[in-house]
Amino acid sequence: MNRRILIIDDEEDIRQVAALSLETVAGWEVMMANSGAQGLARAVDYQPDAILLDVMMPGMDGPSTFRELRKNPATAKIPVLLLTAKVQSTDQRRFADLGVEAVLFKPFDPLTLATQIASVLSWG
Amino acid sequence: MDYSVESSSLAGALDSLWYRFLPEMESRVETLISAAEAAQSGPLSSEQREEAHSAAHKLAGVLGTFGLSRGTALARELERLFLEQTEWRPIAAERLLADAAELRVIVGGRK
Repeated sequence: MNRRILIIDDEEDIRQVAALSLETVAGWEVMMANSGAQGLARAVDYQPDAILLDVMMPGMDGPSTFRELRKNPATAKIPVLLLTAKVQSTDQRRFADLGVEAVLFKPFDPLTLATQIASVLSWG
Repeated sequence: MDYSVESSSLAGALDSLWYRFLPEMESRVETLISAAEAAQSGPLSSEQREEAHSAAHKLAGVLGTFGLSRGTALARELERLFLEQTEWRPIAAERLLADAAELRVIVGGRK
């Protein structure tokens, strides 16, 4: 099944590698946003099947963006997976407690990113 | 669900992205080298530390994606060291420079 994914990350290299990975490996359709604010707008317009959301971004960071997504009825039910380069367990617990579907880690393996997402979201 | 793909088909596209973003990677490494060199003679300003910490964090998140797992490990170590560099310690400063220099070789050596 063709899935639609929104990637929100301020780092262009990460956005491009993740998009390449999901498009090439899984054949999913990918939309990108370079900030939390842009991501909120694109999530409303694009209505993705899932959002891959970076944690550390200038301005509105990942957790703040997630809270805004949940507040808006148009985006409240879209599954969100946080993407972070933070490896400390206290950070991981804090992110998991937000209520996101999963916390994925950078660096990710481009060959298996789609499988990870599909597994978390039970996309058979 | 398992998405099977020839790794070579993805590898070529990843190589293209690597060369596209190489100048940015090298610029981040040079930020680390400059800060590590400055740390040899005394404490860094909070601005220098923040800039170096941010460059290390970004490299840590991306280098392994391009197959440079040692690069990610070094960048993580630098991220930690710059965060802790609030007080000047000569041994830590030496470590910063050695790690940053190795990172430069790793980034410059990826084909």
